[in-house]
Amino acid sequence: MKQSQRAAYNSFFYLIFAPALLLILFLTIYPISSIVYDSFFRYDFISNTREFIGLQNYSRIIGEELFQRSFTNTLIFTFVASTLEVILGVFFAFMLQRKFRGKRISSLIIIFPMIISTMVICAVWQTFFHYEIGLFNFILGKLGLSPVGWLTDQHVALFSVILVDIWQWTPFAFLIIQAGMSSIPSDIFEAAQIDGANRRQISFRITLPILSSQILLVLMLRTIDTFRLFDKVYALTGGGPANATQTLSTFIYREGFSFFNFGRASSASVLTLFVVAFLALFYVRSLLKEDN
Amino acid sequence: MYRLRKHMNTVLFALVLIVLLAITITPIYWMVNTSLKTPREVINPVPTLTPQSPTLNNYRTVFESGLWKNFSNSVVVAISATFASIILAFLASYALVRYRFPLRMNKLFLVWVLVVRILPPIVLAVPLFTVFNQIGLINTLPGLIVAFQIYTLPYSIWLIYGFLKSLPAEFEEAATIDGASPIRILFSIVAPLVRSGIIATSIFSLILAWNEFLFALLFVRSPKLLTLPVVISRYIGEYTTQWGELMAIGLFASLPILLFSNVVYKKQTEGFSMSLK
Repeated sequence: MKQSQRAAYNSFFYLIFAPALLLILFLTIYPISSIVYDSFFRYDFISNTREFIGLQNYSRIIGEELFQRSFTNTLIFTFVASTLEVILGVFFAFMLQRKFRGKRISSLIIIFPMIISTMVICAVWQTFFHYEIGLFNFILGKLGLSPVGWLTDQHVALFSVILVDIWQWTPFAFLIIQAGMSSIPSDIFEAAQIDGANRRQISFRITLPILSSQILLVLMLRTIDTFRLFDKVYALTGGGPANATQTLSTFIYREGFSFFNFGRASSASVLTLFVVAFLALFYVRSLLKEDN
Repeated sequence: MYRLRKHMNTVLFALVLIVLLAITITPIYWMVNTSLKTPREVINPVPTLTPQSPTLNNYRTVFESGLWKNFSNSVVVAISATFASIILAFLASYALVRYRFPLRMNKLFLVWVLVVRILPPIVLAVPLFTVFNQIGLINTLPGLIVAFQIYTLPYSIWLIYGFLKSLPAEFEEAATIDGASPIRILFSIVAPLVRSGIIATSIFSLILAWNEFLFALLFVRSPKLLTLPVVISRYIGEYTTQWGELMAIGLFASLPILLFSNVVYKKQTEGFSMSLK
């Protein structure tokens, strides 16, 4: 009797855990093993032909300028966008540290960009960036400056995409850091003031160090998100001009869904996974450290 | 002297606040502004700060072109994906909190869920496209609902796991002694206790699913089944300067989400710090 009860108790937990476990395995483990396998083949989806070619996909892709470019673009975007978002988020959180009338409504407005769909945001910024009838070049013209090819100049386009990301996600950094700040007990500041610390000293020597884990968290979440950059490039530049804004994600998309070259798309995916594994190693450890 | 400095600080503070709000508001205002302009005014090289002859024609045009269908697709997919994720995440998280599976499964699973959140989804797209194609899920809304679990399920598991972990086991123990079945305990005792956490998680998941673009673009082809973000991206590509209509769709797609901003503001930080603890 006792034993059968125990068995029922155990099987209940297996039963409620199974659906999520199976779904996640189906959506991730299967695809990952299949890209590893497919990456050794010349595999055209349309004609459904497979031919084993060993590491050829890898050696070709790594040697291609387009792949190298996509790789560096992704790194530049990830690094510049997430760093600036965190710095600006910290800056604004410090500037708006005090209590004031309308704080709540201001904060509500500030988070609008991060909940609106990326596609909607790209649509609006398209109208800003347009070379002939866009708002930005109109303003530049009024100031007597020559127009900029925001999305059409090879040297500018990637930074225009970064600008949109900063507009969309700085509020997120701001919010998390602001919340971290408000949870610091105020007697710490009072004690520092009594000891004769000035505002700058309090900010740099007390508040900032206390917030360091929050800042690291935001930086991690932003690098994760910026590393997968796809939507903005798709909607703003389509990878152009002259591939100046291709990223790892758009490279895989092009190989897979424009050329249906699933073998090459798979090996590019595996290469991307190596970078992700690197990130994951570091992130998972620091996120779980807090868990123990 | 001290007073002057204090005064200067207030001025500086107000200035920063105004600049920040202006930068945030301008694109949103521009969307409203452009959506009310005539096609002619939109392509005027001198942009106008307010519509010169305001019109609702853009809204009429996009609705007559069948936008309601796309809107309802987005609603159906977002709500179903969220519902599925919340149920699965709630059940799994409860098992992970209250039961120790063999082979360190608890920890492995949670780590894997975190890894999935780091993975760029395009990496999974090619093989999933092949499987979905074989089992007939390509070009269907249920297919999207399944694919969206890649985003919404790991997210929900981490948040709900955090909420459940902070719950004392005493209520459940008492109920067990009273002879309540595990299923009953789960839904009539545990679920109400973490209600606010589940609501917050649902809202985040709804926003994720509502805005999802990659799988919606890759897995659905027929115009009747498209979700709003894909409709918008097609507009950007095809009718390059039909901005009035584009902005009308954009505004329409944003409104349901903006209604949640209050909850997002309240719960955002809570949710994220939860995933740390």
